[in-house]
Amino acid sequence: MELPVLNEQPKGGCSASSCGSSDDQLNHLSDEIRAKVQNHPCYSEDAHHYFARMHVAVAPACNIQCHYCNRKYDCANESRPGVVSELLTPNQAVKKTMAVAANIPQMTVLGIAGPGDPLANPERTFETFRRLSEEAPDIKLCVSTNGLALPDAVEELSKHNIDHVTITINCVDPKVGAKIYPWIFWKNKRIKGEKAAKILIEQQQKGLEMLVAKGILVKVNSVLIPGINDQHLAEVSKIVKAKGAFLHNVMPLIAEAEHGTFYGVMGQRGPSNDELQALQDECAGDMNMMRHCRQCRADAVGMLGEDRGDEFTLDKIEDMEIDYQAAMEKRKVIHQAIEAEMNSKRAAKVEVKAEKLNTRPVLMAVATSGQNVINVHFGHAKEFLIYEASPEGVRFISHRKVDQYCEGDTSCGDGESVLQRTIRTLEGCEAVLCSKIGYEPWEMLENAGITPNGEHAMEDIEAAVMLVYNEMANAGKLDEVKQRATA
Amino acid sequence: MALKIIESCVNCFACEPLCPSKAIYEAKPHFLIDAKKCTECVGDFDVPQCASICPIEGAILDALNVPLNPAGSLTGIPPEKMAEAMAELQAH
Repeated sequence: MELPVLNEQPKGGCSASSCGSSDDQLNHLSDEIRAKVQNHPCYSEDAHHYFARMHVAVAPACNIQCHYCNRKYDCANESRPGVVSELLTPNQAVKKTMAVAANIPQMTVLGIAGPGDPLANPERTFETFRRLSEEAPDIKLCVSTNGLALPDAVEELSKHNIDHVTITINCVDPKVGAKIYPWIFWKNKRIKGEKAAKILIEQQQKGLEMLVAKGILVKVNSVLIPGINDQHLAEVSKIVKAKGAFLHNVMPLIAEAEHGTFYGVMGQRGPSNDELQALQDECAGDMNMMRHCRQCRADAVGMLGEDRGDEFTLDKIEDMEIDYQAAMEKRKVIHQAIEAEMNSKRAAKVEVKAEKLNTRPVLMAVATSGQNVINVHFGHAKEFLIYEASPEGVRFISHRKVDQYCEGDTSCGDGESVLQRTIRTLEGCEAVLCSKIGYEPWEMLENAGITPNGEHAMEDIEAAVMLVYNEMANAGKLDEVKQRATA
Repeated sequence: MALKIIESCVNCFACEPLCPSKAIYEAKPHFLIDAKKCTECVGDFDVPQCASICPIEGAILDALNVPLNPAGSLTGIPPEKMAEAMAELQAH
């Protein structure tokens, strides 16, 4: 398949922090919106290095079926939306949230995202929100929905401490929708085909408009499904932006036969890294794009990319005594310290500029666990953040998980070693920056054409990426203009 | 005349609030239908509500033990294709 060549960079270049959803682009937002997103890890690329989030799985019922979802699924080793281990009652969810807030004070956001559709479980969802906005007022609340029941829920949503809603919008054309949604439950009937997709699309768009009118921030999620909606999502992006969504998150389809989903079983493939990036870049001309999404489980706990849910199972939180007043004071102090650190880093940031102007762009992988610095050993990295360096600057592109579906187990898959798999994950990158790296992976990376680099431990990511880029440029490695993305 | 929920139910709660006769109740290991109360929605709706929202093929049976949502009817996955994929996974 012929892929669009990458768009040119916006004038004036684009630093990593402005391509996610923070810094430069946040500066264009009103103070009110900026205050809402600056400590939200899912909405601000900058914040996700410092703040944590959690989901509580209180919403099991769903009112639609998506071809990438299997409602039978529950696996502790899986990390993807719709998967949970323990369904919670609103009371248990409140208890768990307060336990996490007290023990992980950098947790700022509580989301309800499933495992079904939160708004198809209005009593359970709103009971949880109502109690949390009273009992834990320092936690931001957000909800993620397919949009079918959204117009009827906007009034109730606006009553609680909810200023963020995510709507999954995969299409604006019922013909495309009929290939994604086999049915919806609507006005006491199961409806199929284009008719179903048309109703769903109308409800999503209406819900989006109503939320924007109420001043509630809306993020739109779209699942990129090659051959189904890949040619269509740029239009989706334009439309949702025109209606006032403030962020668009295009995520890759996850489809494996063992998940038992329609797409998995029927052999529908997910997009390649290049295809995802090309589409995100195409949409970026029109819309603020989000690229740091980790497609969390509906019961995830911790920083994006990590899951500490095991520390907060029902039996464990049962034994925890939480003094929330005390926790809230401690949280306040810690949040202020983090914000001060973010501000001082921003102020102290020395921008490293490209030294040559005609060199080609290069992708680099970075091992980090947060704080915007290179601080993870190559062998310990569970994921890599991918940055692109070019004469225009450094920009954040995406993250890539090392073990996508299994936990470092060689018996799973086609028998290749964890190390080989990790190196395959880095395909397309020409350097990998980490705090340290062992001899064996060093050699394998070099053989794979990826330059390992452990010289910038604890340094600012963007500055280090540009320093390495300059070294490559000065060594004459980047002179020819390489044509990208022709998979 | 009554419907029943069998063990493939995943306890998603979707059917329970829809039942006009309040015949569906939470139980272990899965939700159940009180046969004395179930009317199959006759007089209230054109179609049985539980079977119209249930996402699991084969989880709700009629009085003759026939699934209201047979294999392939909800996911769109042809049963032979599903069997093929599962056989392949077992082989690994």
